Amino acid sequence: MNVLNIALYEIKRSLRDTRTFVFMLAFPLILILILGTALSNAFSSEVTMDGMKLLYKVSAQNEPLQQYWNGFAQAIESQGVELTAANGGIDGRAAVADDQYAAYAEIDDNGVRFFGSSLRTIESNIIQGMLTSFADRYNLAAAAMKNSPEAVQAILADAGSSGSFIQEASIDPHRKPGSIDYYAIAESTMIAFYACMSASWLIRGEVRRRTALRLAAAPVGKMEIFAGKVIGCTVINYLCILAVVLFSKYAFGANWGDHLGIVFLLLFTVVLLAVSFGLGIAYMIKGDSANSVMTIFVQIASMLGGAYFPIQDDMNNFFGSLANLSPLRWANDALMNLIYNNDLQAALPVIGLNVAIAAAFLAFVAVSMRRREAF
Amino acid sequence: MNVLEIRNLTKKFGDFIAVDNMNLSVREGEIFGFLGANGAGKSTTINMISSLLRITKGEISLLGKNIVKENKFAKLNIGIVPQDLAIYEEMSAYENVSFFAGLYGLRGNLLKERAAEALEFVGLGDKHKDLPKNFSGGMKRRLNIACAIAHRPKLIIMDEPTVGIDPQSRNYILNSVRKLNEMGSSIIYTSHYMEEVEELCTRIAIVDHGKIIAEGTKEQLKSIITDTKEIWIGVKNEERLDIDALQRISGVISVQPEEQTVKIVSRGEVGNLNWIIQQLIKDGVEIGSVEEQAPNLETVFLTLTGRKLRD
Repeated sequence: MNVLNIALYEIKRSLRDTRTFVFMLAFPLILILILGTALSNAFSSEVTMDGMKLLYKVSAQNEPLQQYWNGFAQAIESQGVELTAANGGIDGRAAVADDQYAAYAEIDDNGVRFFGSSLRTIESNIIQGMLTSFADRYNLAAAAMKNSPEAVQAILADAGSSGSFIQEASIDPHRKPGSIDYYAIAESTMIAFYACMSASWLIRGEVRRRTALRLAAAPVGKMEIFAGKVIGCTVINYLCILAVVLFSKYAFGANWGDHLGIVFLLLFTVVLLAVSFGLGIAYMIKGDSANSVMTIFVQIASMLGGAYFPIQDDMNNFFGSLANLSPLRWANDALMNLIYNNDLQAALPVIGLNVAIAAAFLAFVAVSMRRREAF
Repeated sequence: MNVLEIRNLTKKFGDFIAVDNMNLSVREGEIFGFLGANGAGKSTTINMISSLLRITKGEISLLGKNIVKENKFAKLNIGIVPQDLAIYEEMSAYENVSFFAGLYGLRGNLLKERAAEALEFVGLGDKHKDLPKNFSGGMKRRLNIACAIAHRPKLIIMDEPTVGIDPQSRNYILNSVRKLNEMGSSIIYTSHYMEEVEELCTRIAIVDHGKIIAEGTKEQLKSIITDTKEIWIGVKNEERLDIDALQRISGVISVQPEEQTVKIVSRGEVGNLNWIIQQLIKDGVEIGSVEEQAPNLETVFLTLTGRKLRD
């Protein structure tokens, strides 16, 4: 009951802190609008489609499958994907790892095996989306072959027609991220991460305004206070994110995909990660310098995460490596995959990682809090 | 019965001993003055009573129960009015009181009643919806008290509750302290204003360097230093003073001539004022006034600690 009481008061107090509240809502929405409008040309299809390199190897004996693949290959080639057949000696996975190709696909009688480049995530995600469509279509044809052979022709006839896969897969103009779509995701995750700023103030704020003394003197356990404050802070920040997502979806028409539940879950874990991170840093660094450290970190993580401009996928230099360390980058990549490739699997590792890191920070704070006298 | 018992209490911060083997008791129904200069160990002691700091050695009992072993019981029965304002500026007066009272287990209608009662008690009943950021210093101090009393604690610790406020609010708070005491709460009261302590407290302890150096009623404390008295005599022609002759009078310890005044410190039990005046007349000194000062708490404090309370 005390936990709930403390959490509710935390939410109520945050709602009355209009300056912070407006910042959490207005700041991301304005950024989405400004950056989304100003940088719309940077998100045109020509730019993203050029130079996507796919290495493939067909070892399938199944004739319809070969036929289907050939049609598919022609279609995507006409859209700008450079296809290279892997000769016997080439190790496809190594070639992708060396950044020679955005993806490598092996087509055999069991289906398609796909290896995407972690250095060119957007390109490999687009190709993966196309191949997913290809595999779905083939599975449909295979099923039809068993039950209604006459339908197969109609299904396979589509295989060679340029655009049919494209419309169904990720390069459909409606499902490719436009600038508003991109910044809706990027700013939402960024503002979710801003929760670490308010979290760093959760306990220090109580100490500063001396109310920590009253809390410590009350017959309430430190862990109850801790849990109440974490819950309150997480909920209020999460509500802000939900508002930003819904506003961007309905007011700006941003595409948040068909899996809003998973999107919200992922964003929740980003907020949780941010809150626990903020609390953890505030306990590691004493005094007001924690706030400065947090501000610098959030700005760098936001920039590397692509909050202000998209980070190129082919960056294999120091900057590219740094970008991969940003929690916002993980979240943004997972959301892109989820929304544009329907790749639910891409979200799960990020959700798991966010929760695990959050748990580690929260455990650290809980132990530190117990050890300290008062707070 | 003692509400609070402190036995052999010690608190160390590294090598520094903030509270040194302190023994103290507060009786039920009394207003107990706790005096000490800054850094004397007063706040550390209060923080240990309130369970804000861990005890290095010794024991504190509240209503006969060890506050470490029966921590929840102790916390439920203590109300703390911190020296610094401990309120949420962005929450209304009522919300502040009900939030803190809620932490003491009050719920529903009882919580509403007690919060309203506490605000009424400190004279903020009609301001319950207002935000403290719009309050005067005195009103904030009163809200600070309301937050500590809504759960009706047996022991209230008031750490400088009147610091920095106008005389009207100060009087209001002092009357509130008396009323709370009459309603059954025992009170530990600290202040830098000696006259407040003298006016309110039934017993007083003076703490210095982490130790209780004197404890008792006002009269008992004053009696510690009644072996001396100060006689202030206003004179118009101090050049005629015969200091040696005055010092030879029985009981006189020292004679200090100042500008148109002579301060004579004498042993308290010797009735020598008559001899002193006769000597002055004999020397042709014109006497303007004679004042014999009884010791007050300030003098007691100064004598015992060598410091003024506000040092």
